[in-house]
Amino acid sequence: MTELYITKTSTRNPLPQRLADFTTLAEALDYAAQGVTGYNFHDGRGRLTAPLRYAELRQRALAAAYRLCRLGLKRGDKVAIIADTSPLFMEIFYGCQYAGFVPVPLPINMSLGNHASYVERLARLLRSCEARVAVAPAEMQSFLAEAGSELDLLFSGGNEAFLRLDANVHALEPSRPDELAYLQYTSGSTGFPRGVMIDQATVMANLRGIVTHGLGVRPGDRCVSWLPFYHDMGLVGFVLGPMASQLSVDYLGAREFAMRPMQWLTLLSRNRGTIAFAPPFGYDICARRLRSGDLERLDLSSWRVAGIGAEPVRTDVLERFAECFAPAGFDSRAFLPCYGLAECSLAVSFAPLRQGIAIERIDRAHLEHHAHARLASACGDMAVTSFVNCGHALPGHEIVIRDQQGNPLPERAVGRVTVRGPSVMSGYFQNPEKTHRVLRNGWLDTGDLGYLTPDGLFITGRHRDLIFVNGRNIWPEDLEHLAGHYHGVRHGDVVAFTAAADDEEAVVMLVQCRLSDAQRRHELINELTSRIRSDFGVACRVVLLPPPLAAAHVFRQAFAQRSVQTLPAGGPRVAGPGIASRVAGRDRCCILILWP
Amino acid sequence: MVHLERLAPPDSNLRPDIDLVSELGLDSVKVMDLMLDAEDEFNISVPLNVLADIRTPNQLAQAINKLLESR
Repeated sequence: MTELYITKTSTRNPLPQRLADFTTLAEALDYAAQGVTGYNFHDGRGRLTAPLRYAELRQRALAAAYRLCRLGLKRGDKVAIIADTSPLFMEIFYGCQYAGFVPVPLPINMSLGNHASYVERLARLLRSCEARVAVAPAEMQSFLAEAGSELDLLFSGGNEAFLRLDANVHALEPSRPDELAYLQYTSGSTGFPRGVMIDQATVMANLRGIVTHGLGVRPGDRCVSWLPFYHDMGLVGFVLGPMASQLSVDYLGAREFAMRPMQWLTLLSRNRGTIAFAPPFGYDICARRLRSGDLERLDLSSWRVAGIGAEPVRTDVLERFAECFAPAGFDSRAFLPCYGLAECSLAVSFAPLRQGIAIERIDRAHLEHHAHARLASACGDMAVTSFVNCGHALPGHEIVIRDQQGNPLPERAVGRVTVRGPSVMSGYFQNPEKTHRVLRNGWLDTGDLGYLTPDGLFITGRHRDLIFVNGRNIWPEDLEHLAGHYHGVRHGDVVAFTAAADDEEAVVMLVQCRLSDAQRRHELINELTSRIRSDFGVACRVVLLPPPLAAAHVFRQAFAQRSVQTLPAGGPRVAGPGIASRVAGRDRCCILILWP
Repeated sequence: MVHLERLAPPDSNLRPDIDLVSELGLDSVKVMDLMLDAEDEFNISVPLNVLADIRTPNQLAQAINKLLESR
């Protein structure tokens, strides 16, 4: 057998760089295809498995477009793709762009033993987006077959079957600027699918803001990413953004990253990457898995933008990462906090480049009583809470902080973060009611709470989840963060929220605890209870319930809406609002400890 | 099993048919740890789709055997 020698696409490009100044994604790919850059896929051991130059991708996308047309799809029809980190996803996603169809990335399962619930979830998404075609990587094909068995699909199958379809040339009319570029199902939409509709002009506006204002992209940049393509940061930030600015990207699968996180940094080091993003947990896992000898093999000095997004920025985690990797040349000024959401394509605001993490220390008591972010004085022993500067809105976008009634608030007042601008979605697919709830007169209610200063936006929490006790506002994140410091409890396994108990609101906190010893659990309960009482002045009661815990914010919102029953099978149905109400009773706060 | 002992709580009673998630409490990070051990020890690559049908050590062993045979 002949050994094929493959090389990664280059960083340098003879083609003059254009920074996302295109009207559609198809037009952007037409341009990128004239150069030599492209996407590079790697396996879990960091070996290059498939380079895909934009030039070759364009050819394959056109062939995919012909195949889809010949299946009899109509303009605007939805094409669902299980979004594995693979060339197949790219072919079909961009194929849709060339033929006026709408790609819908679907999630990949990464949990043990949840076959049935994953199939159920896929089926719900396929129905919600009204898919006419569904494609999966070969190994995922069987899930798709089960999920789509009762749906009227023109095609459902794997890579090979798709490639066998008739690919004779067909007249193509690429999606126009006012047509949908894709449907993005938000990560919190497990129980209640919400497909964010993003037009071509909308995503192009956001991409322009990201690559020019946010990242300051320039020739010589190279991206490295393990973020899944069904996530807005993975799709918009690291599939569409690099293509629209003709940069090369090195990909590692999300599962491969979870297994061998150091591969992410190794790739960046080896290929002289300059731009890579992760949620805080991505930085956390790298710092935790660092082994002696790793540092000598790494050179992170080329990394100029280390973006942080998708969840609240945890400064302790980032400080630890910076400390661990400074010997390998990591510069903490590369940290770039940003704020965004899928409903605004991806990005709303970026902190200034080369600033690193800039925090404000806020007087917590004043914040809770007056919803006002007053700087804590340097001395004194007052309770302090810190927030991270997420910078100013992208050009052409506005951020206004509002009260419950929608009136604009002055600087430093904490309220609902609302956004207006060309990157905002046109709505949730087939869901005018939910759309109306968040989108009015062009203003998107992000569901987040924050305040503005002359330095820009600070995010403090999510308003739907805010805990009100005796006229005070308590941020669930604060309770969660506190619990996460205890032995046997991990950050991310804790969720605090309010649930209606009789006519009152009760504070509920769920902790997934890893202690198997009853005595230790008992101690944890006591310690947490008294600590919360002393720190937050809230009485609480602690109850044990069996796991598993769903994604924290999904669960929290479901609880707030008293609709836990509608979460999918395998979800935390045990802890329905009924139980929460009962255990909470007259107490104003309740902690449920879930233990294996 | 050797790998599981490291990942499981110290006093847990490991059995071939124990449920890795609901009985042993392996979270997603530990599951990935376990897969990493399996891949490195047997020099295989465990495809993602296999995970959804594994609940017990027995099923994991069978899946690994299958992967070794198909190599």
